[in-house]
Amino acid sequence: MYETLGIWTAAIFTLAVYSFLYKENPLYRLGEHLVVGISLGYFIVVTYTQVLKPRLIDPVVTDSQYILIVPALLGLLYITRFFPRIAWLSRYPMAFVMGTGMGFGFPRSMQSMVLKQLQATILPLYEAGMPAEVVIGNVVLVLGTLAALIYFFFSKPHKGLFFGTGSRIGIWVIMIGFGATFGFTVMGRISLLIGRIQFLLNDWLGVIQ
Amino acid sequence: MKENIWSRMLNLDRRWIFLLIGVVCTVPFFVPFGLPVLPTKNVISIFDYVETLGPENAIFVSFDFDPGTDPENMPMAVAITRHAFARNIPVFFTANAPLAQGMLEAGFTYVTNPNIAGYFHIVSWQEWAPYREQGITRRDRLQAAWEADGNVLPENASGWVFEGRDFAKLGYLPAFALVIMGMTSSIEAQYPEDMNGNPLAQMPMLQEHKNLRDVDLAATFSGSAACMWWVLYAGDTISLPIAFGVTAVSATDYTMYIQSGQLVGQMGGLRGAAEYEVLLQEAGYFEHPDRAFIGMDVQNAAHLLILFFIILGNIAYFAGGFHKKGALLKGRR
Amino acid sequence: MKRAVPLMIVLVGGILMIIQYFIPHQISQDVKDNYTIWIPIITAFALVLGVGSLTRLHGHKVRNRAPNWPYSLAVLLPLYLVPIFGLLLPASMAGGRDAPSVFHFAFMHIQVPIQSTMFSLLAFYIASAAFRAFRAKSMLATILLLTAVVVMMGQVPIGELLGSWFPRVGLWIIDFPNNAAKRAIGLGVGFGILATQLKIIFGVERNWLGGAGD
Repeated sequence: MYETLGIWTAAIFTLAVYSFLYKENPLYRLGEHLVVGISLGYFIVVTYTQVLKPRLIDPVVTDSQYILIVPALLGLLYITRFFPRIAWLSRYPMAFVMGTGMGFGFPRSMQSMVLKQLQATILPLYEAGMPAEVVIGNVVLVLGTLAALIYFFFSKPHKGLFFGTGSRIGIWVIMIGFGATFGFTVMGRISLLIGRIQFLLNDWLGVIQ
Repeated sequence: MKENIWSRMLNLDRRWIFLLIGVVCTVPFFVPFGLPVLPTKNVISIFDYVETLGPENAIFVSFDFDPGTDPENMPMAVAITRHAFARNIPVFFTANAPLAQGMLEAGFTYVTNPNIAGYFHIVSWQEWAPYREQGITRRDRLQAAWEADGNVLPENASGWVFEGRDFAKLGYLPAFALVIMGMTSSIEAQYPEDMNGNPLAQMPMLQEHKNLRDVDLAATFSGSAACMWWVLYAGDTISLPIAFGVTAVSATDYTMYIQSGQLVGQMGGLRGAAEYEVLLQEAGYFEHPDRAFIGMDVQNAAHLLILFFIILGNIAYFAGGFHKKGALLKGRR
Repeated sequence: MKRAVPLMIVLVGGILMIIQYFIPHQISQDVKDNYTIWIPIITAFALVLGVGSLTRLHGHKVRNRAPNWPYSLAVLLPLYLVPIFGLLLPASMAGGRDAPSVFHFAFMHIQVPIQSTMFSLLAFYIASAAFRAFRAKSMLATILLLTAVVVMMGQVPIGELLGSWFPRVGLWIIDFPNNAAKRAIGLGVGFGILATQLKIIFGVERNWLGGAGD
């Protein structure tokens, strides 16, 4: 009974959202607003059961880890944002989270997003036994990366052999990259629709296996 | 401007296009083509890696997506979970956001749903407590003792999964990037309890794999850049092998991390999930592929339609001379 | 106190955490471990800001009977009812978090379907855009479209039937020229992230201070 009610409710709301394709209507707007409220309500429950209770309340009350009151007090300072006269106090937890988070991420971002990627671009263009498509591919990869980087360097005018030709090759490489992304994007969007149609035909109507 | 067939075509009410795509995405469910899906190397590499793992290893499966990308990410997460359970590889389940925890619950429910053929039958933490008290915690001994006591695996089930031995649902914590970082030192410090309130310290799988350095793979399924947290805070810091399951939209953005060796492999979009399901079927784990494979027939039809639209739209644009005249007629809805 | 101290916290905290990365000593690791335990607790309280802001915004609309004010009720009612049912009421009153319960029903049978369906609307829009907007107006646009066509056909089984070279060429495009482009963009993004992080640490970027008075 519960499952049946659930499936019918889900189907009605699915069709309500799809009705927007014909024309905006009150049922669609109701669904739009419900999603905002439910997601935040869900957020509250999960935050309490997953974070506050096991990681703050229980350790302080049961295990006497009173040091955890410090981050709790810092977190409570967020609430001062609602009171204009003392709203500046909310900057303290933000500063702590922001500053330490930036420092924490800096060397790791450097390693993963820059150094490792540069390292992977310095590769042998040819090795014995390498198929032709891989050799051509490695040349495209190395020179294409360099050319695309030249294209994004806007501090110098794109003229001459290095900046001019380099940036022209770079934009071609970028367009090929965007073309590949676009092809996958089409696939991705259709997949989302497939999932919903599968739900309607299988779970709701039961007309397909 | 004089109306001709090309301008009428380009000014077509877009709701007709919506109707056409809706029909094209529905009909193949009733008239399947059944075309084969050939796995590609990026997906095969994940599958082959998981094939090398067993009960003495452990993996993380992180549901880092919200309901918006559920149709793409869920089949991938389900596929790799079923693979791990079939090989008795202990799985830690995590989520990077509250809604993602809901997705974790939904995915886990699907894998353990008795109404779905090939499901895995859950034995809860409390149910096998007597065996723990006797010190029976090794996977093979536990299953033997469990079955010797008269517990029979249901006919349409693929196997047992013991909570705390085969899986632990850890769930969501905020600032998840830092949680990953913290788990490189201790999983229990980040998650003293699982989602059901069971103490992690008593779980055999945690006792054998105390931190991410003892784990053999982290598979993250995401519709955003959150998957990169695993690479930044675990993959590159402690050399934890990472596998991605991402939406098709982002799939091309992360292939460079495969080339650089920072990823084991990647499942991209519904196709990636379909390939993994085919690999599971070919390896004999399951009789049939799952929902992602069924969806590929619709992908075929939809792609052909999109291509038709692109070609027809460009023909109409150039044949109608609109590339010379500038803007098209106004008044389209 | 109002600006200088937070900026100092950012500076000292940022530099300390950068230095921590390079120090393998146990004290440094303990700092890292404790930090990873504190931050989730602090950030959990930021939820109060979200709830308060939403309540204020929609409560104002309901109180003043603003246009479309009933929709604001559709935001506020689940916002408070879902936690009440999920945390306070027992299972006998449809409470709790496991099925059957209001909490589970609201998430699985309302939230998930609506959110998934909203995202799936994009499929319709991309079909419409394919017909009305994707034009090969220049050489670069033509390259983009042709690449997209080859990659798209390489990804579906019917493409393999139409031309066995589709998947091979499609994969080559993804592995090499696509990687070149994305790597260049990724490096730019990486440098941008590093620059932003340093700007915040050294107080050059101060937008995060805004909205809290002077």
